[in-house]
Amino acid sequence: MERRDVRDVTLQQFRARSRRDFLLFGAGAAALGAGFWWLLPEAARSRWIPSRANHALDTLAARVGATPDRREKFLDRALTFDDDVAEALYSPNRTVRTYPRSAITPLRNNYAGGTPNPDYLGGWRLELSGLASGSAEHLSIGELLARFPPREQITRLVCVEGWSAVAWWDGIRFAELLAAYPPGPGARWASLESAVNVGPDGNVDPYYVSIDLATARHPQTLLATHKDGQPLPLAHGAPLRLLAPMKLGLKNIKAITAIRYSAEEPPDYWARQGYSKYDGL
Amino acid sequence: MVSSPRSQYGVITMSTQASAVSTPGRVRIEIRHHGLVRLTHWLNVPILSGLIVSGLAIYWAAPVYRHAPDATTGNTDYVGDIGTWITSHVPGLQSYPRPQTWVYDRLSIGPWQLAIALRLHWFFAYLFMANGLLYLVGLLAGGGYRALLPRRTDLRDALRMARYYAGWIPARLLRRSWTHPVVMTKYNALQRAAYFAMPVFGGLSVLSGWAMHKPVQLWWLERLFVNYDGARVVHFWLMVAFAAFVAPHVVLVVADGWDTLRSMVTGWSKRLSGGGHGAA
Repeated sequence: MERRDVRDVTLQQFRARSRRDFLLFGAGAAALGAGFWWLLPEAARSRWIPSRANHALDTLAARVGATPDRREKFLDRALTFDDDVAEALYSPNRTVRTYPRSAITPLRNNYAGGTPNPDYLGGWRLELSGLASGSAEHLSIGELLARFPPREQITRLVCVEGWSAVAWWDGIRFAELLAAYPPGPGARWASLESAVNVGPDGNVDPYYVSIDLATARHPQTLLATHKDGQPLPLAHGAPLRLLAPMKLGLKNIKAITAIRYSAEEPPDYWARQGYSKYDGL
Repeated sequence: MVSSPRSQYGVITMSTQASAVSTPGRVRIEIRHHGLVRLTHWLNVPILSGLIVSGLAIYWAAPVYRHAPDATTGNTDYVGDIGTWITSHVPGLQSYPRPQTWVYDRLSIGPWQLAIALRLHWFFAYLFMANGLLYLVGLLAGGGYRALLPRRTDLRDALRMARYYAGWIPARLLRRSWTHPVVMTKYNALQRAAYFAMPVFGGLSVLSGWAMHKPVQLWWLERLFVNYDGARVVHFWLMVAFAAFVAPHVVLVVADGWDTLRSMVTGWSKRLSGGGHGAA
């Protein structure tokens, strides 16, 4: 059953092979060790070895061209590669799993700065720009609900942190809004802005996300107006939020005030902080 | 073992003794590991380390194993509890500023590193998949897979080996002779089970990883692990299994001797398997 590959070699052959392979092994281990160390973030390295040694190693690395800047670019490439894989996997015909009402779980209020002040709700209008018509549109919640049929959906929202929750939403289809107010020629992206722009420290911190129009046109991508059959509460993005269950939760922007279409990829709040731009599930 | 007269003609018999030298100035060797198997074996060290230090940092962002908030600390994370326990029981650690992050501080790239941890994890995950494929190619090309396949006698042989390992230290202490069971194959049954499990666990890590990473496009994978958290749980325990494999693996390699370690670098062993492994 087990075939043995046995042969006779001279002692010189044996020693020469050991010498060659151990030299290769040592060189490889040193190179891999150095590369591994270089890839680790500053915060981790400074915890594992004294900062003076760390600094000396960084200087040495920079001398051979391994700068922190290059490390960021290198890891960015890994992220871009993974985004390309995600985009290749995406199919507009694949539906997101839906759940019965009995499967609904509590959903966290994930506003960084706590539940916002309701002031922004008075006179709220959704601004649409980058349209084929050339002018901007301003629509109230009443107008949106009167114009587009309601769609109900119980889907899972998956957070980049790893937790997830099943929630019941109602809203209008993003695809139907796109059909009624077509974007300008060549548009491939939408930039969505939020009315709630407060960071965890209470300072102004504008929140905006980019969404590719292929995702926006998916039949399960909603502009949600209701949760659990009730108008959206403040904690979950009153009066209108994005619900794209084929994207990570961080793309599901709350309290949308503006949607702008563009041919170029718009900036994204989380991408600027080192997260993926695409975030496809 | 019955010893036959040492072969004069390079003819290899089942009774060839370990480390048999057939002719002066020559040495009889067995090619134990294909080059790709050796390369990918060692590459697993940085790759798995990278996956674990980044993976635990991701885990920390939202632990899958949680309990109701602790009355005094407000902690909800079992891994955090391990850190609290260690810092309060190990001398010299009592003044550790944030006991709940002790484990993450040691074994991960650290708390509040989610964005960088995700990028590192994807980078090492793609390397892990490529490395795993190369390993399989090496196993097939070198025929090494034959020594890993489970066989019918494995259960009985595994029990014999477990008994041998369990009794080794007591036997030493009592200065009693403790003979290694006769093993006529490249690996004993326990080794075989462990070495066979590693590529299986690697494959399951990849599958559970993709199930979490793309639960919508690869919905069938998510269903394979029941649901999203099912994939998280499996992925977590596979990490524990890899870590649990490494400790006895390293101890036994050191115990087994230089030839075993050298053969994973050069591929050549002077110890011919089937030699009966009188003592390890």
